[in-house]
Amino acid sequence: MDGFDMMDSGTDGPIVTIRKADAMHADFVLSNVDLAFANSIRRIILAEVPTLAIDLVEVIANSSVLPDELLSHRLGLIPLESSNIDEKMLYTRDCDCDGYCERCSVVLTLVAKCTGDQNVTVYARDLAVAAGAQLGNPVLSDEAGKGSIICKLRKGQELNLKCIAKKGIAKEHAKWQPCAAVSFEYDPHNKLKHVDYWYETDAKTEWPKSANAPWEEPPAENEPFDFSAVPTKFYIDVETVGSLQPDEVLRQGIKYLQEKLATVIAGVNKTAGAGAGGANGGGDVNGMDQDGYGGARSPDMGDANGYRNFNDGYVTPYGGAGGGGAGAQTPFGGYGGGGYSNGWP
Amino acid sequence: MNAPDRFELFIMQDGEEKVTAVDETRVPNCVTFTFNKEDHTLGNLLRAQLLKDPKVLFAGYKIPHPLFPNFELRVQTTDETNPRAAVVKASQELIKDLTIFRNNFTREWELKKMIEPGKEGI
Repeated sequence: MDGFDMMDSGTDGPIVTIRKADAMHADFVLSNVDLAFANSIRRIILAEVPTLAIDLVEVIANSSVLPDELLSHRLGLIPLESSNIDEKMLYTRDCDCDGYCERCSVVLTLVAKCTGDQNVTVYARDLAVAAGAQLGNPVLSDEAGKGSIICKLRKGQELNLKCIAKKGIAKEHAKWQPCAAVSFEYDPHNKLKHVDYWYETDAKTEWPKSANAPWEEPPAENEPFDFSAVPTKFYIDVETVGSLQPDEVLRQGIKYLQEKLATVIAGVNKTAGAGAGGANGGGDVNGMDQDGYGGARSPDMGDANGYRNFNDGYVTPYGGAGGGGAGAQTPFGGYGGGGYSNGWP
Repeated sequence: MNAPDRFELFIMQDGEEKVTAVDETRVPNCVTFTFNKEDHTLGNLLRAQLLKDPKVLFAGYKIPHPLFPNFELRVQTTDETNPRAAVVKASQELIKDLTIFRNNFTREWELKKMIEPGKEGI
């Protein structure tokens, strides 16, 4: 495209330095991005990456001390293995079955009874996934491999439950969160003064240094305040609950953010009337720069001129001058590389 | 009891548009977009990206009411372009940046896995 591509952060996009990577953590430094970008990443992996969680519980028998509701709530919070869920499962609301089926749910059963004098502890491990399910095994990340405790049974008490796990996102219920926590910090030395530390006599001595402080130069003594500085370096630690690997969480988050932006492009183009937006948009940015023909088109482009007018007429209010610019523009092709709006995955 | 269903935060109702636009009549080259079923995740991201564009004179967003899942994005541009084109361009820039982010992250992650094998559990 033209010159103002360069407006972006100067060099070429986000830079990542991974500090720690294991089965539960992705600790990395994200730099050369702005605060909004980093925060959107954080928000999307917290709230909009789908996982699998128990959503419906059919209680066949429950003589334990826990009421059915409490038990089903506890079951919902158990993390279930859900990698590549997008390829393997549909949302129930998008599925054509009524109720649930194997394409949009995983059935887990829990059968336990205490017969001896010793109390029985029921663990997440005791949930049995229906044969043939591609995912949905409870995550057992503790050393003993038992998973979390669901309930305890006294002699004679029993549980017989059928649990239906569904795909969902954390915006609907926190049980679908793939992350236990996403730590997020910038400017550990508080050079930007975004934090106003409370103190008795001296904030410097009373507050502990951030763990990320060694990653940045401390401010020099009596350094003047840089009022135009903005945060560019973010310390992010994605801690999962085990249902997804941390790298998958991040990649999924990026994917969903990109899908969101793709719907923005489609939606904004649609507001320009009958699909004309793409042509207008593309034509305006590219075409106008060449022809230098002013932006006067925008107000009426929507309703008055349909897209069709545009392509074969185009002459209407502004004369034929724009032909060059517009000729090249298909509704979506106008943009650099052209790829995106054309059916972005 | 009368709380709205949580899925109304992100599932479009029938006949609802994702984006609607109102051209500002008293300001040249200015459009207020309303995004349905979206929040700060998208609003702030777009706003920040639009402000990097020298042809954008004004970009701001607000969530008119915390109980309604929509936000308004107001964009004013110079007459070299128009607000719709600016938003589309900002979105494309962001998609590009996110792709770079994903690639850089994946590369670093694979490297880290090679350096510290075995630490990759499960």
